[in-house]
Amino acid sequence: MAEQTFALPDLGEGLVEATVLEWLVRPGERVERNQPLVELETTKSAVEIPSPCSGTVVRLHASEEETLRVGAALVTFEVDSAAGIVGTVPGGERPTRRVRLRPPAE
Amino acid sequence: MTELSIAEEPVPAPARGPSMQQAINLALEKVLEEDPTTLVFGEDVGRLGGVFRVTDGLQRRFGAERVFDTPLAESGIVGLAVGLAMNGWRPIPELQFDGFAYPALDQIVNQMARMHYRSRGTAPMPITLRLPSFGGIQAPEHHGESLEALFAHVPGLKVCAPSDPADAYRLLLQSVRADDPVIYMEPKARYWDRGPAELAEPTEPIGSSRVVRPGRHATLVAWGAMVHRCLQVADLAAEDGVDLEVVDLRWLKPIDADGLAASVARTRRAVVVHEAPLTAGLGAEVAALITERTFGDLLAPVQRVTGFDVPYPAGPLEPQYLPTLDRVLLAVQRTLEA
Repeated sequence: MAEQTFALPDLGEGLVEATVLEWLVRPGERVERNQPLVELETTKSAVEIPSPCSGTVVRLHASEEETLRVGAALVTFEVDSAAGIVGTVPGGERPTRRVRLRPPAE
Repeated sequence: MTELSIAEEPVPAPARGPSMQQAINLALEKVLEEDPTTLVFGEDVGRLGGVFRVTDGLQRRFGAERVFDTPLAESGIVGLAVGLAMNGWRPIPELQFDGFAYPALDQIVNQMARMHYRSRGTAPMPITLRLPSFGGIQAPEHHGESLEALFAHVPGLKVCAPSDPADAYRLLLQSVRADDPVIYMEPKARYWDRGPAELAEPTEPIGSSRVVRPGRHATLVAWGAMVHRCLQVADLAAEDGVDLEVVDLRWLKPIDADGLAASVARTRRAVVVHEAPLTAGLGAEVAALITERTFGDLLAPVQRVTGFDVPYPAGPLEPQYLPTLDRVLLAVQRTLEA
């Protein structure tokens, strides 16, 4: 188990801050990767931010209607494993095959 | 009674020892402890502890003078290692991903590999270049490559690729203690695998292969993550009454030609499996070595099962690119029918 803090990402179009409209998760809640975390409002639009990882929400770093700068801490998670930052941990997939062998004549 | 005898088969206990990440971490800890000239450096290896946690805790334990972060400049990382080695240090640099090795190739090939030769033996290069390698973790482009043939082709380099935690520990100790530069290729897809609890000192010399599963009908030759794939194939083949031997090559330079020949002289059939593209891959070298030594014993041409002659694909296409169980089984069948 390890804690991982997710910062407010660059939302594009040169925007430097965003306001929290509504949290879609709460501390202690289990989230899956890509699950919607929070709805933010920028000067251009409202956007939903998906979770970058699977884990448990430990802390929300802003309250609703609070404005955050890009790069400020948004959420801290407790993540399941100390997996690599790039890529995914290979699953324990069951080996499947279609080819059957014929033993050699002895 | 068949059911009873199956039930009585000893069930292997699940492996609870260190993962390959942890085994490499423990090997680094050991060499940092035993030799005050060893240094660990690279991108994010210090404060962060490495993107795969391989260097976790080492900076805290040994200080930022011996375990340190470098700028994001692979050519500089290897160049620094060359200069340090010339001044009596034993560097253990990391290039964060195999795809990032290309910018460092000039330093690796033109400096690190040649300095001992160029200096008439007065400037050995006891460098272990750690290179998280190969695919299988669905990483983006440039984060999965299979560069062993490129390095094995360069005179002056040694190259190895462990396949499990215990061997990762042994091979790293050997690599660091060697006075020659070693490219140590860590199979990313096996980082999370656990092995036996006991890690042991190496007992065999550099350049030794090992039989990880004995068998009599054909020999599968592999290294890195493909050893696991070959062991899966051997399990499936056993269901069909075919008994496969699996040889973990471990050292890709020097290659254990005698060990390969000893195995194939017994089984009389061989299939080599690797992730890299087919053309001019290391499988060609292995096939040639086997053929030169066991031509009279072979019942079939040596088969190669490899990646395709395309750029290493990004994550979602990996399962189509990497040798599948069926592709290896088909190659085995070709050797059985010949």
